[in-house]
Amino acid sequence: MPLLAWLLLFVIAPTAMLVLVSFAERDSLGRIVYDFTIQNYIRAFDWLWLKVLFSSVWYALLTTLICLIAGYPVAFFIGRAPQRWRTLLLMFVMVPFWTSFLIRTYAWITILSKEGFLNSILVSAGIFTQPVEILYTPFAIVLGLVYNFLPFMILPIYTSVEKLDSNLIEAAHDLGAGPLLAFSKVIIPLTRPGIAAGAMLVFVPSIAMFAITSLMGGGTNPTIGEVIFKQFTSGRNQPFGAALGSLLLLIFVLALWITRKYRQED
Amino acid sequence: MKKTITVVLSALAIVLAGCGKAPEAKKLSVFCWSEYIPQSVIDQFTKETGIQVSVENYASNEEMLAKLTAGGGQYDIIQPSEYVVEALIAQNLLHPIDKNKIPNLSNIAPQFLKLSFDPENKFSVPFMAGTVGIVINTELIKDDIKGFADVFKPQNQGKIVVLDDAREITAWALLSLGIPINELSDANLEKVKPVLANWLPLVKVFDSDSPKTALLNGDVAVGVVWGGEGAILLQSNPKFRWVIPAEGTHLFIDSLAIPKTAKNVENAEAFMNFILRPDISQKISDAFPYTNPNLAARKLLTEDQLQNKASFPSDADIAKMQTFRDIGTQGSKIDEIVTSLKAR
Repeated sequence: MPLLAWLLLFVIAPTAMLVLVSFAERDSLGRIVYDFTIQNYIRAFDWLWLKVLFSSVWYALLTTLICLIAGYPVAFFIGRAPQRWRTLLLMFVMVPFWTSFLIRTYAWITILSKEGFLNSILVSAGIFTQPVEILYTPFAIVLGLVYNFLPFMILPIYTSVEKLDSNLIEAAHDLGAGPLLAFSKVIIPLTRPGIAAGAMLVFVPSIAMFAITSLMGGGTNPTIGEVIFKQFTSGRNQPFGAALGSLLLLIFVLALWITRKYRQED
Repeated sequence: MKKTITVVLSALAIVLAGCGKAPEAKKLSVFCWSEYIPQSVIDQFTKETGIQVSVENYASNEEMLAKLTAGGGQYDIIQPSEYVVEALIAQNLLHPIDKNKIPNLSNIAPQFLKLSFDPENKFSVPFMAGTVGIVINTELIKDDIKGFADVFKPQNQGKIVVLDDAREITAWALLSLGIPINELSDANLEKVKPVLANWLPLVKVFDSDSPKTALLNGDVAVGVVWGGEGAILLQSNPKFRWVIPAEGTHLFIDSLAIPKTAKNVENAEAFMNFILRPDISQKISDAFPYTNPNLAARKLLTEDQLQNKASFPSDADIAKMQTFRDIGTQGSKIDEIVTSLKAR
């Protein structure tokens, strides 16, 4: 019963609201007028918005991939470390995230800017003669996203690694598998649930993230999160924003459904 | 379980009934821009009047409109810009002001009163005005920059910061074509498109919240920013120069107004009068150096503050500036044009 109430209050009601608004119109002040229309969806399929969506998906995929490559070894190392070390190591992953992500993003801006910390080191060390442009580039966007979402990859994989039975790895070695083969045939399949969960936890929020992308990317590459945010504010067009939001939701549901299906077939 | 719910509900009923009956509580709910009214000013108001103030902030006029019209909160004071005052009056959403309660209105310079958005000042009193202009880092840019046309030149590619505001950017493009900034017909938007298509790829950073950051960090060399931001840059380093665009520019006037739904109208009027007091207005100028419309307060400002051209453009310059009118749903078309030219 409590679970049902919780679902109703925090999942079903907001989603229903979103979908309802996405079929509405708005007046000149931006107030929602409940006249049924599909105009918002027709507009949403304009190439302009699709392009923005694809580029956001691309950034999110890249972020997920880098998080996986960078996060897996860390998660594996922590998961295989002696029991008494694990909590401490996990703390190291978490501690930076106890401060607001905006503060951490501004810290990156201070580090990466032209007269910033990194550039002054690079120039004074003679590696570059001129400060390089790092901030306000696509590289900075991906860096910001990876930095912010990395723990969401590490933690689920860590949980899988921790549960990993060492006997199975030993058995693989006994049966003649080298480290590479044991990793790809035994370790990876056994930690797949963690990888899938981590990938979802990184991919989904990084598509819609707009604060980091606009602060570190300079706002020159609009992301879908930014576009939706603007519909709700300066665009005075909440129904259109809601339509874009509903489409995004649909993509997530599809992605989730596909990964589930894929896992069941395994 | 049922019993608990009944208890909670009846308690809630008592609380709600209490709210409705109270005559005018010693309370005031202010819904204002972030970084615009210093906390010390709010504290002083509470100290002098005993009225408890709760403050909620917004970052854009439209955010305020959305919350106000959704009826989410009970606000007694809002701080809309000129075109939003106009729209709110048209929709009958503002409470008329009793001017007898606001004698300090006489401190305001006549050029900021009785303007087209509220011809009788029946619903709004000016809080601060400001403009949009060009800041140049003279160490990095040696060319003479006089207006928008000089900023958006190919040699400045990747060296420009502008406000992340589709309406502002479109207004500059209109000005460069000699079209008044409120004539946003579809035909004029078509004329603006090629201008923006040339301009936007040159921009390195779009930032409305703190465009000074990119200029201070040396990531860009020139910016089109709010006057208040420009004033802070001029104070911080003499290498920054302020230019009012030769093509003309946007003058904004942010007002204080009382929504129709306000519960504490008298407290709100007391707050308006307090804000317009010279010593209080001076404090606001010290913290946020926009164009102070309060003549009595200007007398209290230092020579340096008054000489800052980003804060106080000359009357001749102001005469060339234009204010925004409400454009209703045309806003999302502008937004679409700017987004489409950014995304490539």
